[in-house]
Amino acid sequence: MEFVQKKTADSAVESFLLKAAEQGVALVWDRYEGSLPQCGFCETGLNCRDCLQGPCISHPFRDQNKVGVCGKDKDILGVHSFLRLIVHGAMAYFDQLADFAEGVKSGAISPKDKGRSDKVLEDIQALLSNGTAAVMKEFPKGLVDGWKAKGVSPEGIARDLFKVSQKLDGGTSGVKDTLLWAFKAALSGCVAQVLQGRLKLAVFGEGDPEDVEVNLGVLQEGVPTILLCGHFSPILKQGIAEAAKGKKVAVMGVCTDPLIPPYTFAPVTNYGSQEIPIMTGAVDLIVAGDQCVNPSLAELVKQWNVGLVQTEVLNRGGDLKGSARKIVDQAQKAFDSRRKVSKDVPDIKESARIGFSADGLDAKKITEAINKKKIKGLALLAGCNNVKFTQDLEIISLARELLKRDVFCVSEGCASISLAKYGLLNPQNRESSCGKGLSDLLSSLGKDLPPVVDLGSCENGGVTEFLLALGKTPKELPLVACFPEANRTKAVARAAWTVAMGVPTYFWPFLPVTGSPKTTEALGDFCQKVFGAKFNVITEKMEPAEKADLILKNLGRG
Amino acid sequence: MEVIMVDREKCTQCHTCALWCGIEIGSVAKELNQAIHEEPQPVPRVLVEGNNFPLHCRHCEVAPCIDACPNGSMRRDPKTGLVYVHEPTCIACWMCLMVCPFGIIAPSSSQHVAIKCDRCRNMEYPICVEVCPTNALKLQETRKGLPEGESHYVQYSKGLEGF
Repeated sequence: MEFVQKKTADSAVESFLLKAAEQGVALVWDRYEGSLPQCGFCETGLNCRDCLQGPCISHPFRDQNKVGVCGKDKDILGVHSFLRLIVHGAMAYFDQLADFAEGVKSGAISPKDKGRSDKVLEDIQALLSNGTAAVMKEFPKGLVDGWKAKGVSPEGIARDLFKVSQKLDGGTSGVKDTLLWAFKAALSGCVAQVLQGRLKLAVFGEGDPEDVEVNLGVLQEGVPTILLCGHFSPILKQGIAEAAKGKKVAVMGVCTDPLIPPYTFAPVTNYGSQEIPIMTGAVDLIVAGDQCVNPSLAELVKQWNVGLVQTEVLNRGGDLKGSARKIVDQAQKAFDSRRKVSKDVPDIKESARIGFSADGLDAKKITEAINKKKIKGLALLAGCNNVKFTQDLEIISLARELLKRDVFCVSEGCASISLAKYGLLNPQNRESSCGKGLSDLLSSLGKDLPPVVDLGSCENGGVTEFLLALGKTPKELPLVACFPEANRTKAVARAAWTVAMGVPTYFWPFLPVTGSPKTTEALGDFCQKVFGAKFNVITEKMEPAEKADLILKNLGRG
Repeated sequence: MEVIMVDREKCTQCHTCALWCGIEIGSVAKELNQAIHEEPQPVPRVLVEGNNFPLHCRHCEVAPCIDACPNGSMRRDPKTGLVYVHEPTCIACWMCLMVCPFGIIAPSSSQHVAIKCDRCRNMEYPICVEVCPTNALKLQETRKGLPEGESHYVQYSKGLEGF
């Protein structure tokens, strides 16, 4: 039961908190406080509602019931709680991939590289049917052989997702066995993410890193503005941008891939504050998917008279380009009808260089810098925001510590947007943010490298491609992954496959598995034995400097 | 005397009161993630039974536990009227356990002292009332009688009239 005193580190967002309170608008922070105390059984994974004989709990205290009606004890409840998150998270990647692939197949867009696109589509089919995607050959052989030996290598969605999901229904699998099934689902999600990235390259072409501006200050008051919210078909996104071109309609994004060549969608804010852009009055129409979209938006848009288009509907019709044109028309109409709505756009924005790719970074120079001890290692920063922490504070504080101590940091998705808001993706801040060794390495890698290198959206496998490009199995390198403010189930699946690839992973907040000593232990020692890396679930409160200490201490030690 | 009332219509038997009582009052660590692994396991002072009824000590006006205690360790706070165990003198004879009509007194983990709900008398507010997600638990002054429209709350201190 914990109140977070300071809600956000983002001053642009903070200015709206008072306004929201004055206007009686409930935001995510209010709803969180209203839900305290959160259920302790759920928080620690000691609960289950997978059937109708429940809901069940395993009570941790004396003389109380310890097992569910069907006999799940605290350890099975804990590992099932983990598995449930992973299955949900892995499916999210398949959902994105399937949508995109279907759009390409339907001919809604002509791919830049048809041959390559067809090959990726074939590979996607192989991943779905039996897991024999050709891309698997690009993973280090030692790693894949290890996965095959344990049976966690992808074998098609029938086994990777359907079979795994039924572990929750029952059966007599133990903790370790169930955990491996969870990793199997996560790994299939990993391959899905990589293939989505490859399809994006084939369809939209290679894009160079782009300079964008980030934060609420990018919103413009005088033009119709469309906000793309969450994850949905990139073909529709491109279509909207195309239709908006020449019509003086601005298209921006939140919690969505900001780069669909040749278009960029300026990130207006990140997950924790995705309700705030509506409050500025400068958004006329929201196009919202399902993934990463707060249901609260449905009510908020009514209060600010903002148009809302749902992309994930039952009868969607086949014409993506036509839908895109309609959306732009709708935005123009909404703009006209909203002229009287007062606008309040804070003048706060930051420049950022985003969208680097593994190809653009000289992996040899990086491994050399590690061997010569110029840098202490590599950190992958991921995850978005979590209302249980001061928005952005955890990730930026940790990143600043790691950069100072010469740890090469790469980031993806919403983590990048968090970091970008505070200038950590701005090349100008390289010297001032990084230790000498890291700064030298970054300058040798290219002229315009920012302190933290963004490897693209969480829709694409930029980070995995980067790991593959390093040319060694990750456990041979001083690598670490950090999720300082994780939130979505996708992040849990993401973290799990990172562990399976041999990268020690630190995850906050603690996962709902802590009620099960066996699951917590298996995520540590058992994963270390099987994958060469631990999935560190941390329950203690820690300052950013302490977190950096912990990470540095364990860098390269699994 | 202020006592805890239960609105049975609102209780969903979620056990949140018992969990937090175990953490805040029963455990050494006072923190969720540590308390749930403590050995011996903490003992919550509130018991959630069937029929949507979280059962606490009712601080009976004529308390059998006080009468049965052979050395005056079971006491009533003259200011608040709350019944509590004076732990330093408790000899763990378990007479109070035997006479409590509601079975809410339990031996402690050490087996050296009887433990029971003292309505968090040293805290500002009882933890169970604070954490109840549906407000099924409520702290209420009994001397003034039940306020208009709140007779559905079951009193703890005065037996279960209307139950």
